Order: sequence, then C-alpha cells, then structure tokens
Amino acid sequence: MATQAPALGETLRRRPYIPVFVTLAVVTGLELAITTPGYFPVLEHTFRIVLLVIMSTIKASLVVAYYMHLRYEPRWLALIPLAGLALVAVLVAALTATVAH
Amino acid sequence: MAHSEPAGEEEEEHHGSPWPVIIAIGMGVGYVGIVSASVPMLLVGLVIFAGGAGGWIHQDMQRPSSAFYGLATAVESKFPRVSARKLGMWLFLATEIMFFSAIIGSSFTLRLRTGTPGLPTFGGPWATPNQILNVPLTGLNTFILICSSLTMVEALAAIERDDKVKHRFFLLATLLLGITFLSIQAFEYQKLYFGEGLTFTHAPLGSGVNPLYGPTFYAQTGVHGSHVTAGVLALAYVTRKAFKGGFTKQNHEAVELVGLYWHFVDVVWIFLFTIVYLV
Repeated sequence: MATQAPALGETLRRRPYIPVFVTLAVVTGLELAITTPGYFPVLEHTFRIVLLVIMSTIKASLVVAYYMHLRYEPRWLALIPLAGLALVAVLVAALTATVAH
Repeated sequence: MAHSEPAGEEEEEHHGSPWPVIIAIGMGVGYVGIVSASVPMLLVGLVIFAGGAGGWIHQDMQRPSSAFYGLATAVESKFPRVSARKLGMWLFLATEIMFFSAIIGSSFTLRLRTGTPGLPTFGGPWATPNQILNVPLTGLNTFILICSSLTMVEALAAIERDDKVKHRFFLLATLLLGITFLSIQAFEYQKLYFGEGLTFTHAPLGSGVNPLYGPTFYAQTGVHGSHVTAGVLALAYVTRKAFKGGFTKQNHEAVELVGLYWHFVDVVWIFLFTIVYLV
C-alpha cells in the first residue's frame, strides 16, 4: 500500500496542463463559432445542439481528469462523482417523462 | 476530530478547534430562520456563521498548515492515497452535482413546457442565442475562467515543486481572474436588468420572449455566481496564507482542496455556458 504520493516529482513533470488549456480554449472558440449567426449556417439546429453538448462534455471531462487530478487518483474515488451523476440520470429521466406528458 | 497519530511525526499540538462547532450552530439557527420564514433568526444565524468562519480563519492563519495533512503523511487505510479531507471535498462536490442538476433541470423543464409552440402551456418562445444575451462577452468570461483553472493547477504544481514564488504568483493570478469573472458578470447583470429590461418577472418589452426566460437565467447564473464568490473568498484565504508562508512542499492540502472546488465551479460553468447562452 502506498503511503507516499507516488513518484510525485516525476508525475508532476508529465502532467499536460498546457495542452489541456489549449484544447479548452480552442473548443470554446469552436462553440462560439458555430453559434455565431453567419458562421457555419449549414449546421442543422438539432445537430448543432448535439455538437455543443459533446464539446462541453469533452471540456468538462478534461478539467475533471487533469485539473482535478481524477486521472491520477485511485480509481475508486471516481465512484463518488459518478454516484452523483447516476442520480442526475434518474432526475433527467423523470423530467423527460414529465415533459412528455 | 479523532486521528491516529501519523507515523514518524511528532504530535506536538492538538488539532481541534471550537470554531467549526460555532459555524454549525450558526448554520442551524439560520436554517431554522429560513424554514420558519423568520428574517431576524436568519440574520442571527448568519452573524454567528460569519463570526465562526472569521474566528476559524484567524486561528488557522496563526500557524503553517499542520504537518498531519501533508502529502507525505497519508493515512494507511482501505482507501489508499486519499486523505479524509479530500474525500470529504469529493463527497461535497457530489452533492453539488445534484444541486446544480436540480436548478438546471427545472429551468430546462420550464423551457420545454412553456417555450414549445403548440403545447397548451406555451407562454412565448425562448430567446435565441445573441438575441438578448451578450454571447461574445460571456465567451470572454468563459475564457477567463478557463485561464483561472490553469493558474490554479499551476499554483498547486508550483508548491509541490517547492517553488514558493510561482506558487504565490499563480494563486494571486487565480484570485484576480476570479474577481474579473465576477466583475464582468455584475456588469452583464446591470446591462441586462436595467438596460435591456430582462427582469425576474418580465422579458424585454416588445421582444415577445417568454417571461420565464429572465428568472431561469438569473437563477442558473446567479447560483453559479454565488459559488464563484465563495471560491474567490476561499482563494483570498489561501493566497493570504501563502504570502504568510503558510504552505510548504509537504503541507499544502488546503490549496489542493480549494483548487478542487474552483475547478468544479469551472466545470459547472462549461455546461451552463452551453445550456444558457448557446442553445
């Protein structure tokens, strides 16, 4: 069992903080571009929404994995936010069922 | 708090503090004030809470971070390499996920129910992106928040390398970026409320936009803004402590915990920006 942070100095040097930042900035720029009138007018409305949801999910995942260090933590720790997300899934299902009626 | 003593550490002082108890009493009194709709009781609770928080911060500022919480003293347990405090922060963030989901989910349900033409509950269309909100300005604000996440994680990386100069610089940068985000949001609110006429009950006159657009907008962005405010206060605390030399390579868990909260606020904004401003 590890009682010390594992090879901390070595791990830190390899953490890709800047590439993650560049990706976040570029994807944010793309999000703005596809919603600005006159840009990408060929994108159909529903497709654009799906694209936006995918892009925001990618951005959020990058922040959680690298900036919140979840990628470097023991696997079991991810169960905590996932439990929260599971309850969110129940909420979304309930709301969807409500709206459908 | 009851801890087993860390191996190889001298247990020279007691880690207990009465202030968390006072904070809890303040929160309890304030909560009773909310549920019984008693403003004086709510105010008394807030005063006790503020006094407890101030006392705790003052006490904590008097000394460097306890060695007990240092990275090198992680406790042997069934849950390796995660301290109780970090576990607590993640549990808190899981509750925050549910909290924000409730706010966003209810707003989106209102939008679908009252903003969909043809439904008997239709009350007017939702505003399109750029119709009322200043999307480019908020895009800039989103970029500022992303920058603050980078500076926050760099502040943590710096103290893990024992580079105190960069640690202080990046913490201060994060604090300033957070204040900038809030300032831009305050400017946006002022323009929208008094300039455009997007209020808690009405959409701008003549726009034909659903009157629920305003309240859902302010509820979602306002709750997030209050979280950013709490984050800025927490950042002010760790920045002040960093400038007093309170964190070292071994003892800096408070920075990591405030960072976790700050990044979470960024993650929430990533979704809110898409849902409120772009869709």
